[in-house]
Amino acid sequence: MSLVAEAFMNQLAAAEPWPENAALYQQLKEDQILLSDNASSLAVQAFLQMCNLPVRVVCRANAEYMSPSGKVPFIHVGNQVVSELGPIVQFVKAKGHSLSDGLDEVQKAEMKAYMELVNNMLLTAELYLQWCDDVTVEEITHPRYGSPYPWPLNRILAYQKQWEIRRKMKAIGWAGKSLEQVLEDVDQCCQALSQRLGTQPYFFNKQPTELDALVFGHLFTILTTQLTTDELSEKVKNYGNLTAFCRRIEQQYFEGHDKDNSGTAAPRSAKRSLLR
Amino acid sequence: MAAPMELSCWGGDWGLPSLHPESLTVMAYAKFSGAPLTVNTINNSWRTPKGDVPVLISEDIVISQPAKILNFLRKQKYNADYELSAKQGADTLAYIALLEEKLLPALLHTFWVEAENYCSVTKPWFASRIPFPLSLYLPGKMSREALNRILLTKGGPPLYSLSEVEAQIYRDAKECLNLLSKRLGTSQFFFGNTPTTLDAFVFGFLAPVYKVCFPRVQLQEHLKQLPNLCRFCDDILTCYFRLTVSGHSPSGQDTADANLQKLTQLVNKESNLIEKIRLSLFLCRWMTTFVRVHSTPLES
Repeated sequence: MSLVAEAFMNQLAAAEPWPENAALYQQLKEDQILLSDNASSLAVQAFLQMCNLPVRVVCRANAEYMSPSGKVPFIHVGNQVVSELGPIVQFVKAKGHSLSDGLDEVQKAEMKAYMELVNNMLLTAELYLQWCDDVTVEEITHPRYGSPYPWPLNRILAYQKQWEIRRKMKAIGWAGKSLEQVLEDVDQCCQALSQRLGTQPYFFNKQPTELDALVFGHLFTILTTQLTTDELSEKVKNYGNLTAFCRRIEQQYFEGHDKDNSGTAAPRSAKRSLLR
Repeated sequence: MAAPMELSCWGGDWGLPSLHPESLTVMAYAKFSGAPLTVNTINNSWRTPKGDVPVLISEDIVISQPAKILNFLRKQKYNADYELSAKQGADTLAYIALLEEKLLPALLHTFWVEAENYCSVTKPWFASRIPFPLSLYLPGKMSREALNRILLTKGGPPLYSLSEVEAQIYRDAKECLNLLSKRLGTSQFFFGNTPTTLDAFVFGFLAPVYKVCFPRVQLQEHLKQLPNLCRFCDDILTCYFRLTVSGHSPSGQDTADANLQKLTQLVNKESNLIEKIRLSLFLCRWMTTFVRVHSTPLES
């Protein structure tokens, strides 16, 4: 949006404190949501938990269409609706909560670069696996994506989304990649994250930041989602410090919410099956 | 002992060895790592490859994308990163992702989508280096692909018009330049005193923005306010490309080529139909005299 509109929105955001009834919308958890959307949603939930801002998760079949940008998750706070992690971080910052204030300029640049790395490689690999790998598309994605709708709408919507994603993959040059190359890219990305994390508890030593939330969202979802093969989660499991990182964040920020049955995503590391 | 390696890429102008960011990245990395590459710039002959530039050919192996070419060079023991720690290697990947996500759309837009830039600079330049029938089609195709990529990756809701997308991508690019400037600080290269892969990528993306003279230059103006990045580009150009910059202007620029270039520029600038008809008549007359002079007479 234009600079004026953004400034106006920040002004509106700063005017009110965080309400008690903030809601985060995503697709239906058991039947409909896909790997990439689940990862994004979990990242936002982790971020809000780290900021100590209460939010309840609401599952709706048409969450994607309700969202102002067409992507889930989105949050409904007061009378404003904001979607995707980047804008949500800025919105929360306008309300006076920020996780990255203690970082200096060079560290902030590094944080933004690593967030782009995760979006560029991990998220794109997840999308590739879901929509361009024929086996996964046939067995998991199509049945799940259209599950709330009757035939033939479920098939039409699934094909439409698949066509859209494949167009995007072609434009960025991923259409020509094979599954092995994609998995190799995931491995490279995990190696970079693992080397950056080292033995520290969080990426920027003592305090978690939005980068930690984003990495947690993606890695935890990859580790706990059952697909047609285990190759993707094996790539992540190769790096012990990353699995320890996920477990640590899960214990610290999601443990107390087991009883909440509008559901934070998979608080236990038991495998949730996405296979029908 | 290593097999001879040939790189086919787009040529250069305005003091740069190449105008194409990916070609420039590979050339810079080859200089940093000391790899002996023979660089063949794409000229008007039919033999040079057109799709998927830059292309590295070594014996029978043909490799086409910058990341893969750099991997191949590393396997041949031309490694510019051997002094980096693991964390610095990870930072390299992250910053390259940042460049591709935030800077590349604006770079593509400046070169291929912004109408004034495309018509007066990019299209004539590329068209003059591609043989005749393809030169009418290929620049247009590259422009459409660039616009497609920008719209598909950055153009979803809530940005509904092209001008909103443009505003967003330029804002992202300026923020990316600021971040790079903060990261570079006062050091000579990104990781100390020797250039590495990251320096090659940053140079490849920044140098075209810095040097090419466009009519619409908002990104260049922003870059010029970041003196450490300008100094970074100039340093690499003088230290690593000094020997080839002066010798890089194509030696065989014959008059026909120059005329064709001038004519294409004229056609693009003037949108007057009568002018176009007049020009095309001149072209036909010129070509028929050319053909008549050079064809052998049928009667003995």
